[in-house]
Amino acid sequence: MPESNNQRITSVGIDIGTTTTQLVISQLTIENTASGSLVPHVEITDKEVIHRSQIYFTPLIDRDLVNAVAISKILESEYKAAGLSPEMIDTGAVIITGETAKKENAKAIIDALAGFAGDFVVATAGANLEAIFAGKGSGAALYSSERHQVVVNIDVGGGTSNYATFFEGKAVDSSCINVGGHLIEFERHGDRITYISEPAKIALQITGQRLQVGERVTLPQLRPVVQAMAASVVEVLKTPLHSDLTQKLLMTPPLQLGHQIRKVMISGGVADYVYAENQPTTMTEVTAFGDFGPLLGWELKASLKSAGFVLEKPNETVRATVIGTGTQSVNLSGSTIHLQETTLPLRNVMVVSPFSAIIPETPLKIAEIIRNEIIRLQMDHSEGVVAIAMKGPRTMSFSDINSLAQGLLLGLQDYIVKDKPLILVIEADCGKVLGQCVHASANRLLEVICIDQIEVDNCDYIDIGKPLMGGRVVPVVLKTLVFNR
Amino acid sequence: MGVENNELEKVIIQSVMEELARKGLLSQKGKDHMMSAAMMDTPIVPNLQSEEMVTFPPQEEMQIANPFNADAVRAMKKLTPARIGIGRAGTRPKTMSLLRFLADHAVAQDAVFLDVSEEFLQRMNMMSVQSAAASKDEFLQRPELGRRLSEEAAKSIAEKCEKNVQVQILIVDGLSSSAIEANIPDLLPALMQGLKSSGIKVGAPFFIKNGRVWVQDHVASIVNCDVVISLIGERPGLGTAESLSAYMIYRPDENTVEADRTVISNIHKGGIPPAEAGAHLTDVIKQILSAKASGVKLNQQK
Ligand code: B12
Repeated sequence: MPESNNQRITSVGIDIGTTTTQLVISQLTIENTASGSLVPHVEITDKEVIHRSQIYFTPLIDRDLVNAVAISKILESEYKAAGLSPEMIDTGAVIITGETAKKENAKAIIDALAGFAGDFVVATAGANLEAIFAGKGSGAALYSSERHQVVVNIDVGGGTSNYATFFEGKAVDSSCINVGGHLIEFERHGDRITYISEPAKIALQITGQRLQVGERVTLPQLRPVVQAMAASVVEVLKTPLHSDLTQKLLMTPPLQLGHQIRKVMISGGVADYVYAENQPTTMTEVTAFGDFGPLLGWELKASLKSAGFVLEKPNETVRATVIGTGTQSVNLSGSTIHLQETTLPLRNVMVVSPFSAIIPETPLKIAEIIRNEIIRLQMDHSEGVVAIAMKGPRTMSFSDINSLAQGLLLGLQDYIVKDKPLILVIEADCGKVLGQCVHASANRLLEVICIDQIEVDNCDYIDIGKPLMGGRVVPVVLKTLVFNR
Repeated sequence: MGVENNELEKVIIQSVMEELARKGLLSQKGKDHMMSAAMMDTPIVPNLQSEEMVTFPPQEEMQIANPFNADAVRAMKKLTPARIGIGRAGTRPKTMSLLRFLADHAVAQDAVFLDVSEEFLQRMNMMSVQSAAASKDEFLQRPELGRRLSEEAAKSIAEKCEKNVQVQILIVDGLSSSAIEANIPDLLPALMQGLKSSGIKVGAPFFIKNGRVWVQDHVASIVNCDVVISLIGERPGLGTAESLSAYMIYRPDENTVEADRTVISNIHKGGIPPAEAGAHLTDVIKQILSAKASGVKLNQQK
């Protein structure tokens, strides 16, 4: 059988934010990178953005509710612009970010988008994941691994600022504060206030400013409250001891500051004003988009500089989150596997990790933990397919791996009876032998898919694609975020 | 060292230090520190009685005194077991690096020169035969002797081994006995399990002492198997002395060349874990059996 050494996947990422909605379509190349004398190792070797959409204002039905039908129209016209049809898209992720994320939008959106990709993940991403995607999309993650320096990416959007600290390419810390360029709205190019959001009211109150909807303001009147918000953003980078305002604006626990921070990157809609040469000098310039984004950007830069942080330029600003969503949510694929499939591809397989600590020695004890976890999760065996995830066997010895296999079979007896494939995901490099042991211990023909060298978290979902490389490996799409956990 | 000599030494050290300090090449603090060290009279006598174990700091520990970017050094050290980021003492290696180098070299030499223990062979319950090289010295000096069986070995294989099997597994010490003891207990059961559950007929594995890769051709000519696989100790390096290779060949004969073999190398706990390698080798053997070819000929069929 001819062995293809690489395969391409087309993925669409959609970011529905407080202010803007955008999408990117990317092509991921999956390749076997191991030399012939080694066990095959399949990884994503290239991520290329092949289409960037326009940046749309997020279509809203009212202030809180996203217009799902309008979103699907956007998708339709962007596919057309990219020259792609839905069948050509293998996978997709929608991330609903910022303030819009709180609402009951997700269900409506998932329905409206059905049929626009092989299968969609819709996520009302928690603020922390949003921060991490933004940092991956902006290039901060890559910067930290290439330069071996800690860097914080702050994605400053319309409603929130999301921090993610990266060290050697990995997110090590994250947080979110309710500061963004759209918290006070104005007449475009004007100076009349049309809306003041809750967090802006708090900031006004604490800084002793009195601004009202309908009022006209001057730049000197507006500046203090914007400066206070910018100072709060910077304070979170500096110290765990926060002013009253910062405490009130923080939406998640603050940064833990376990790594010393010197370098900062800003992405998001406000970023371009952070990196602008000149500051806005008139209210007309400030309210060019009906908000105070340009002023927030400038004040943030000033505040960061005076606190001694070094500003680095990101590769992407406004599109950081959507690029992160489109290219990073589709993750690494499995390598050595034991496969005996008839049912692939499988979509949206829920991951269960029964072992919190080290795996016990005997099959009986292993089985007991699995059964208890199944009871705890109240998993109904008649429901969908699940994958059992674990870090590794007790040790890498054959006898421990064999015990693990026997324990798994014992613990999952009732599940397997339902003629469902046994899907195992293991972090350690022993997927093939584990699968082989399961196969040898099962006293009947059983579909076993055993994927290794993949890290999955509590209740992730995975897609398992059709086998590659002459049937020896399968691509696994790891969906780190799914709506309605 | 006599008393006067000792006094003289101190005077010399003191004047050198003072000269250096005067020229600004040594700080006052540095001078004091060295002087106090020199003034300590207790002679350093190695304690020959104690057999204290020396433990090395972990390999990943930072050895550079003032790294410009410590994270970068750590990240690079993680990528390779090579001796990088080990700092220096002037133009020479630090004591700890030198000791570690000597120790690793000793481990590598042991791997070559020591035999696979009797106890191990008994535990694995394996027949043991020898190549035509009668001793380790001969094995090392005359590679061609390690490539064929001793007459006695050929005889016992002919008598005891099952013939016409699909796969014959050999355990061969090669250039590292340590690799055999470290990997075979986890690799062999995984490989046997894999082959058996695929319904492949396997002859009882046995051990060949002082053997090289080609000895598998000789064995195959006696047992008449389809595939012969040698699990053989690799030439040890300073990174690990426990690395094992699997060399496989489909029906070798007098026209066989090296390119007809398939090799999977770097089997050890820091490379391909041995149990996992056993399962992977099962796949490779299945491919060889169905292609009726190994080595370059197998790759060309893919
Ligand atoms: C020493 C060595 C050599 C020596 C062998 C000298 C000798 N006559 O003993 C020399 C320099 C000649 C050599 C050459 C090659 N080698 Co070489 N070699 C090694 C090394 C470092 C150790 C091998 C060992 O310990 N063998 C065990 C002892 C006991 O065996 P032996 O019977 O004493 O010696 C035989 C084997 O070493 C064998 N051999 C050595 N290399 C290779 C490569 C292949 C593909 C095969 C089939 C056999 C083979 O040839 C020797 C004579 O029969 C390994 C590294 C490793 N991690 O294993 C690479 C290694 C095995 N070699 C490799 C390669 C690619 C080659 C070459 C193809 C390079 C080239 N492009 O020309 C050639 C081909 C060899 C051949 N005979 O046709 C690769 C194999 C990868 C793969 N599976 O395809 C390895 C794993 C290095 C690597 N990491 O890339 N090699």
